Amino acid sequence: MIRFENVGMRYGMGPEILRDVSFHLAPGSLHFLTGPSGAGKTSLLKLMFLASRPSRGLITMFGRDIATLPRAELPDLRRRVGVVFQEFRLLDHLTTYENVALPLKIQGKAEESYRADVKELLAWVGLGERMMAKPPTLSGGEKQRAAIARAVVAQPDVLLADEPTGNVDPDMGKRLLRLFIELNRLGTSVLIATHDHALVEAAGAPELMLNSGRLTIRG
Amino acid sequence: MAEPRAKIRPAAREKDVPLHEPRSFGGRLKAIMVETRSVMPAADGAGLSLILVIAAMCFLASLSLGAALTVGRTSADWARDLSGALTVEVKPSDAMPQDAQVEAVMKLLTETQGVLGADALSKADTEALLEPWLGKGNVTEDLPLPRLVDVRINPNAPPDVEALAQRLAEVAPGAILDTHRQWQTELVRAARSAQWLAYAVLAVVAATTIAIVTFATRSGLSANREVVEVLHMIGARDKFIASEVQRHFLHLGLRGGIIGLALSVATFIGLAWYGKSANSFLVPVSSLRIEFYPALAAVPIVAALVAMITARITVLRTLHRLL
Repeated sequence: MIRFENVGMRYGMGPEILRDVSFHLAPGSLHFLTGPSGAGKTSLLKLMFLASRPSRGLITMFGRDIATLPRAELPDLRRRVGVVFQEFRLLDHLTTYENVALPLKIQGKAEESYRADVKELLAWVGLGERMMAKPPTLSGGEKQRAAIARAVVAQPDVLLADEPTGNVDPDMGKRLLRLFIELNRLGTSVLIATHDHALVEAAGAPELMLNSGRLTIRG
Repeated sequence: MAEPRAKIRPAAREKDVPLHEPRSFGGRLKAIMVETRSVMPAADGAGLSLILVIAAMCFLASLSLGAALTVGRTSADWARDLSGALTVEVKPSDAMPQDAQVEAVMKLLTETQGVLGADALSKADTEALLEPWLGKGNVTEDLPLPRLVDVRINPNAPPDVEALAQRLAEVAPGAILDTHRQWQTELVRAARSAQWLAYAVLAVVAATTIAIVTFATRSGLSANREVVEVLHMIGARDKFIASEVQRHFLHLGLRGGIIGLALSVATFIGLAWYGKSANSFLVPVSSLRIEFYPALAAVPIVAALVAMITARITVLRTLHRLL
């Protein structure tokens, strides 16, 4: 589904942030991405959600080589990847409902066709009562759940989450982990970047470990 | 009986949860003036100042356009009025008495093709004309005064003016035909200069508006960069983002333009009213005729289109820099 072969990445003329990274995310798999701060986790995720291009190596997503893919075809691939950003990146001027419905709106769907689904999803992540609240009035945990709901609302093939439990207490962290595992059971490939070793051990899933730009796979 | 109702209520309430924020009266008013229902944020500080800038530029553009149209029309009117009239000045001559001169002139004029009518000013009329300078009763009998004949000609089929002047001099020595041409040429030239000046001001205002709108659109976009990036990241196509952004700026431009137009129309009406009461304008501003208003109405539309096109070009350029 997503395959990296000897991928290297640098910003401008700087040092290589990622070196010879190779791995494969199979459909329906669950992985963790760990490593100390500055190890290159966010850069690796950026490559996976098509925010940057590698300096070298081969990345294939859904069978397409992204180096040769025309720019106009990238939005279609992005729609198959749901992303939970580390800093959430919810749009402050929209309500929680509008934020979560955004991926469906940009696909050109009519609101009547998704209104019920979005409400149901919001209820499922515990935001049923906060639908019309705007992000600045949400707590950290609520923003986190809204960001997750936005990432999964369009039923992507892959879900990438950058530190999704970074802003919540351990109990909420566990609840969110259950949410990801549930999504994974429903067929979505999930990759969770985290510092939280307890979370990794609780899930018992394979771990991609990044250290100084090099990747090793455990489990 | 109360039991089932209590059960129904929560479900009913959940169904009725409004998905957009409820609005107060002030909120609705703000929505009409500055907000657009799109994924772009409502006009914030930057949006409001863009509206104000566009309003000011449209106000100036409407004023200069209105002035150019009015002056153009007025000078055309002058040219038409004057070219429909001639004056024959009959100077006293030793060759024949003045009344005979006037009679000969009148006879010739009535026989000339293209002359619609002629009125000779009587001696009393001529003296009345001089009264402001010489005072009443101070004109002595032997003061040689020229007599004037006002001639109306058909502007569509005018007589041969040069031939007419020659014949007048023949039949009545001392008669001079004044075509007003010099006065007319100078007046029209002055009016045309004023008109071109107004068009030049309009061009400067238009260029400045485009520059300011471009600048304001760019700064508005950089304020909304986060929104554009997020839309891009979740798979929005460039066209979708551009159309959302351009609609936002179209609305801002239209609102600013309408405010500017309203102010300029109010100014024209105020000037017309003042001009009527003070009667002090050489160029009658009240002659901003009804047929000029559609031209003025085009000003906010053009401003809004400029804002929209600038936003579209800017956002597409910004997006092309992203992967």
